[in-house]
Amino acid sequence: MTTTAEKTWLSGTPKLWVRHPAGSRQCPGCHHPIIERLIAEVVEEMGLAKDFIMVVGVGCYSRAIAVLDFDGIFTAHGRPPDVATAIKRTLRGKPIVMTLQGDGDCLAIGAEPLMNTVARAEKITILMINNLNYGTTGGQMAPTTLVGQVTSTTPQGRDPALTGFPVHAPESLAAYRGVAYTARGSVHTAANYQRAKKMLKAALQKQVDNIGLSFLELISACPPDWRLNPVESLKFIDEKVIPEYPLGEFKNLDKLV
Amino acid sequence: MPKGTITIDERFCKGCGLCAHFCARGCIVVPGDRFTPQGYLLPLFAHPEKCNACGVCGWLCPHFAIEAYKFAEGKAPTQVVV
Amino acid sequence: MAERILVQGNEAVGWGAVSAGVEAFFGYPITPQNEITEWFARELPKRGGVFVQSASETGSINMLYGGASTGRRVITSTSSPGWALMQEGMSCLANAELPCVIVMVQRAGPGQGTTRHAQMDYFSVTRGGGQGGYKNIVLAAASVQENADLVQLGFHLADKYRNPVVMLTDAVIGQMAEPLELRTLDLGPLSPKDWALGGKGAHADGKRRVLSCGQGQVPLEPYTTYLQFIRVLDQKYRTMQEQEVRYEKYHLEGARLVVVAYGYCARVSKEAVAQARKEGLKVGLLRPITVWPFPYQALKDLALGGAGFLAVEDSLGQMVDDVKLGVEGKGEVHLLGMLARHADTDAGMILPQRVLQEIKKVYPGGH
Repeated sequence: MTTTAEKTWLSGTPKLWVRHPAGSRQCPGCHHPIIERLIAEVVEEMGLAKDFIMVVGVGCYSRAIAVLDFDGIFTAHGRPPDVATAIKRTLRGKPIVMTLQGDGDCLAIGAEPLMNTVARAEKITILMINNLNYGTTGGQMAPTTLVGQVTSTTPQGRDPALTGFPVHAPESLAAYRGVAYTARGSVHTAANYQRAKKMLKAALQKQVDNIGLSFLELISACPPDWRLNPVESLKFIDEKVIPEYPLGEFKNLDKLV
Repeated sequence: MPKGTITIDERFCKGCGLCAHFCARGCIVVPGDRFTPQGYLLPLFAHPEKCNACGVCGWLCPHFAIEAYKFAEGKAPTQVVV
Repeated sequence: MAERILVQGNEAVGWGAVSAGVEAFFGYPITPQNEITEWFARELPKRGGVFVQSASETGSINMLYGGASTGRRVITSTSSPGWALMQEGMSCLANAELPCVIVMVQRAGPGQGTTRHAQMDYFSVTRGGGQGGYKNIVLAAASVQENADLVQLGFHLADKYRNPVVMLTDAVIGQMAEPLELRTLDLGPLSPKDWALGGKGAHADGKRRVLSCGQGQVPLEPYTTYLQFIRVLDQKYRTMQEQEVRYEKYHLEGARLVVVAYGYCARVSKEAVAQARKEGLKVGLLRPITVWPFPYQALKDLALGGAGFLAVEDSLGQMVDDVKLGVEGKGEVHLLGMLARHADTDAGMILPQRVLQEIKKVYPGGH
């Protein structure tokens, strides 16, 4: 990654991303490491690296703690919001604390930590990567699995009569008074990648400005568990995922009301 | 005249094909006859002369195998060697 | 002249914790330890500390994990049903090697059980109810003063070994009121917590710090392999067992019968032993202060000297197994358990008269 008189570096491996043996086991075409790049770029551009503490839950994204060059901690499944709360409070609000979780980690096993962290209006940032299933363990149904989606625990396709309907986190969390920002983005096109970066910056700024809790959901492809190849997965996001999970900001307050 | 260039590190490529899919200029192709030791299909920066330094391949490669560069004004090589 | 106050056992925990410089408490309501949570809610913010009420004990233990990762002294407290919820958290604390203190005020079980005393969680606390065979020092208080002093010792040992420490009491010790001398114990120097999180800017070398409860899956600095990490744990636990055994000796000189008891049963047994000595019986009490590591060697030495043993505990028989392990078959081991309570309601206790009766029954050679 050299910049010489002849050429300037544009994109690829940002400064805060460092290759690590434990960090390179992602499936071909997975979007989680694209999100690692996004986080690294945002933290660098906002100048937050020396104050940043990332709290990762359990999933394929957990490897982010190995490759991102700032303080981090890996927690029990679903527990990042509790761990992040305690870090933020014990250090008297000084660091910028962000959780990195999956859809199952955040909304299923992590529902108790999530709802209560939101209720207590903790000033942290929650980043939930949504790939519509439990990817690491082989593709089981998650709260965000689409109706009709085939997973290893809904082999006939998700049936609402048996397993209910997909959960829309940023829309629901916007209703809580302690929440200053919720949004949903994706990284499946260059334009969406840049928009998602802006969303993460806005989310982290709520913490920097001490306003309230911020929540960002980012859609990620999971080609093997979606039973699609990486390029087909992009089309699936456009045709099936975004109609269910619209992209955009749902709440953006300068002050809690 | 190309505006930029890229490097593809074949040690880290997992043959997902996103780079070829996203390159708006068709600079990157997947020939189908080159593989990594793990058996992933390797892409090829087949048309370097068309690169317009958009950086999208670098931003969207999930496996940190691509670095994208922009040539300084007037510094693009007249003869492109890949 | 040190200040002395008359205070409930539960509240003494708070006094001990602030003497040790505690900065944060995370907890959830549960009887019979609510006085601990409420003490911290009143007193910690006054002293610039942090109080957070979690949404469950799974919440408290995971908040403790987060608080401990910053290197500050942090504490939680709970009772038996909440302790059950903390098991995964204890296991994660062990993997991430985080120092902290967990106060466990036992109540009867199983299940929701009663809200009153018992000693039925001994196995769970000393063997570890969570996954992976980790170990932690368990300090058993038998007085209001110990509630305060052992919390301070707990913080010291937690920092020394980078491991959680459990301070074990029961509803009797928690609810009783006794004089407490407010004192800060000088327990010796500790190494700086270079491993703690705070943002890269907080570290002298400017490099990142990472902590993980998944050392094994994804080995992170300072570990590169799973077994390397396991060897460190093994060494840590061996050192604890070699260096941290603590117990109280009461009338053990020439004892032909040794009563072994902890917590409220130790108070009851002490009275019985004192009475037995008055009546000419050579009986003593060995009170473990660390129930892990358990004073196995002391018991073995007493057994080799010809003593018999009477384990007194308010359970169906848990600590008695450790007595048997220590004695190694070289002496007789008897149990006086919770079926000897004086009443069938949840208020029933093992009383001194009952212990004395049993002492006379099992005294070697009769009396």
